Amino acid sequence: MTVLLEAERLCRNFGGLKAVNEVTFQVMEGEIFGLIGPNGAGKTTLFNLMTGLTPVSSGVLRYRGNILTGLPPHRIAAQGIGRTFQNIRLFKGLSALENIKVSQHVTTKSGLLSGFFGTPSSRVEEKRVEEKAWELLALVGLSDRAAELAANFSYGDQRRLEIARALALDPKIVLLDEPAAGMNSSEKQGLSEFIRAIRDRFKLTVLLIEHHVPLVMNLCDRIAVLNFGELITVGEPAEVQKNRDVIEAYLGAE
Amino acid sequence: MDQFLQNYGFLLVTLVQQSLLAYSLYFPLMAGQLSLASPGFYALGGYIAAIMATAEYFAPWRDALGWGIFPLGWLAAGIISGILALLVGIPALRLRGIYLALATIAFVEILRVICLNLAITGGAIGIFGIPQLFESRWSYIWTFGPLLLLILCFSYRLDRSRVGRAFKAIREDELAADAMGINPTRYKVLAFVIGAVLAGVVGAMSAPFLNTWNARQGTFDASIAYLAYVLIGGSRSMWGPLLGGIMLSALPEILRPLKDARLIINGLVLVFASIYLPQGIVGAVGSIRNFTTQTLGIGRSEK
Repeated sequence: MTVLLEAERLCRNFGGLKAVNEVTFQVMEGEIFGLIGPNGAGKTTLFNLMTGLTPVSSGVLRYRGNILTGLPPHRIAAQGIGRTFQNIRLFKGLSALENIKVSQHVTTKSGLLSGFFGTPSSRVEEKRVEEKAWELLALVGLSDRAAELAANFSYGDQRRLEIARALALDPKIVLLDEPAAGMNSSEKQGLSEFIRAIRDRFKLTVLLIEHHVPLVMNLCDRIAVLNFGELITVGEPAEVQKNRDVIEAYLGAE
Repeated sequence: MDQFLQNYGFLLVTLVQQSLLAYSLYFPLMAGQLSLASPGFYALGGYIAAIMATAEYFAPWRDALGWGIFPLGWLAAGIISGILALLVGIPALRLRGIYLALATIAFVEILRVICLNLAITGGAIGIFGIPQLFESRWSYIWTFGPLLLLILCFSYRLDRSRVGRAFKAIREDELAADAMGINPTRYKVLAFVIGAVLAGVVGAMSAPFLNTWNARQGTFDASIAYLAYVLIGGSRSMWGPLLGGIMLSALPEILRPLKDARLIINGLVLVFASIYLPQGIVGAVGSIRNFTTQTLGIGRSEK
């Protein structure tokens, strides 16, 4: 297996707070990599560093050997890194279909004038965008509500739509920030299966933040545990479960 | 009919012209940018056309081109406005919301003061006796009308194209758009430039139409008027600026019999529309249609 994404001594300080402190880990191609830790451990900050939304204080992030740190978010996204947000950031005033069309931006190239005149290449492209948007909507089971505004969707449907929007980028990696938040246990089970299915179908590497420990243990190939911005351990679920530091972080020391 | 056009021709052309200026604000707003710079580019375009039509330097051009000097003026106004918008837009669009609005107002003021003091723009007197393209005021519909049709087609296509979707995504959530691979700066500047080019061309077309051009063209109040057209018509629909522009610029004329009271009524319309029609008139029509189809089951299309 090859290393796809590599963080080396990644740091981010907010004033005196070390939100992410000297974090080093590697993500292998094709794996489902879980990121867990108590509230405020720095998981979402780490995601924001990886997608360029928050600049790093120090350290390096590499994707297939290319340095990502210092690039703006859209350049990172264009390399094939898609994400969802913990607090759902859909384009609420746009329809479900349009939400997915928007993020096919990097895989298309029609400009202002070719779009206006409807040149043959832009028409072919537009048709492809349309087809792919429908395909992804069907994948998350929302095809019958394509024209509805994203704002009108229920919480669970918004989460699913957001995953479809991330997939529209044609990503190699997707970063899912608490995809199971607010779901009941049968929905969580369904989500696990869905994540495995998209990983296989699109040959993805998946990074996910999740609080629900059983879900993470079942789903992930490897898990990284963060606490107070520091990486406690990385390993397979069974190892991580037995790790004393992890138990301490979650349950407190005896 | 002739009598009607004699009386109202100027007004009808003005309605179209004002709607076009509303579109010059609509495009930046489509990308979520509240820019009030349009009057500046409008004034600039007008000066360019007026100078080309009157200055001694351009006399050989006029002799050679005949009426062709007018389209050349529109082109020059569009290009120069576009370049200036690019230069102003790149730094200014780092600002957000109300700060951008303030910066663009400052831009309009700076341009106005410069034009007030330069010899080439005729100083405080401005440029007058601009040669006419047509015999009658009404005939100017043949310049503004096709431009409006072009802009309507453009808006329609833009709304359904990759670039238009990028604009709307930035309007909805700039950060999320960025994370989805859209370069916000690039598209914000592009939307700003489109608005500026349009305002510049409309200015160039307006110079012969209005016959004189001076620093009273393109002031701060004009920005607010254009903004009102878009907001009251509806900023999220391509028909909003047209409807808002026509209605609000016709209102003072329709209310003319009321004499001074018309300004009060005009003001009240603006206040009530902004309170009760937050999505503009087109948005309100859309909501009513949703209400009738979803709640009352009227006019629902069979699938």
